[in-house]
Amino acid sequence: MSISAEVTFETLKRELPAAADYAAAAGLALDDASLTPQNLRLHLRLINAQGEIFHVEFDWADYPLYPPTVEFVSADHGERGTKRLYPQGFHPTPCICMRYNRKAYGERGGPHADWRLLDWRLPTGNGIAIDTLCLMISDLHSKVRQSNGRMT
Amino acid sequence: MNSQETQDLQPQETAPAGAHIVRFRVQTPRGLWSMTEPKDATKRPEYPVSTKIEQVILDVRSVFKFVEQDSKYTLLRGDEILEPQRTLASYKIEDHTLLVLSVQGGNA
Repeated sequence: MSISAEVTFETLKRELPAAADYAAAAGLALDDASLTPQNLRLHLRLINAQGEIFHVEFDWADYPLYPPTVEFVSADHGERGTKRLYPQGFHPTPCICMRYNRKAYGERGGPHADWRLLDWRLPTGNGIAIDTLCLMISDLHSKVRQSNGRMT
Repeated sequence: MNSQETQDLQPQETAPAGAHIVRFRVQTPRGLWSMTEPKDATKRPEYPVSTKIEQVILDVRSVFKFVEQDSKYTLLRGDEILEPQRTLASYKIEDHTLLVLSVQGGNA
C-alpha cells in the first residue's frame, strides 16, 4: 500500500506553516526549499549542548499512511546514518528510536520488531503521541539540546 | 498548594493591587498561545511578574491539552532554559516576549 506523492505533498504543505513558526521561535533552521512532489525531503539543523551542529533529514514518502524516515545526515546531505553524524543519547544502531521514524521498525531493519508501521501515531512509552512534523521537531530539538558530543 | 489548585490560578485573583503584569506569547508544537490565540483558550498568558515558570508551563499545557505526565515539558527563551522554580521577574520577561514550549516524547 502506498500514498501518491501529490497527497503527501499537500499534507506537508498544510503542516509546514505551523512547523516553520515553531522552528523560527526555537531558533532552528527548517529547510523546505527543495520540497516538491518529486522530492519529499525536508532538512532541520539542530545544535547540541556544546554548540555542535547536527543535520536531520525527513523523507516523507507515503506519509501520512506511514511515518517519515528520519535520519541524521551530513551538512551536504551526501552522507547519512553513520554514527559520527549522530548526537550522543540515541539508539546505537544508530537510529532515532521513536514511532515517528520508519527506520526504527523491525520490518525496515530497525530495532523494534514489536511495533507495526500502521500504529506509528501511538505514543512511544507513556509520553505524548508525536504525530505531526511540529511535534517531531520539538522532540528532536529537546533531545539534541540535552546531548553532549557525538556517538563516535 | 496541590497541582489542581495551581492549574486553576488566575492572575487577576492572585496579583496584589498594583502588581506588575506581563503579557507574552508562547509558541507550542500545537500552536501559538497569546492574548488572542487560540480563540477558545480559557486562559491567557498574562501574569504577575512574581509568577513561577512552572505555573506558565502548567497553564500552557492545559490550554493545548498536553496531558501526558511522562513527557518532558520545558519553557525556553531562545536557547535559554527557564527553570520552573524561578519567577518571570527573575528572567526579566517583558511584554510581547516570545517563549517556546519544548515537548519531548517518551523513550522507547
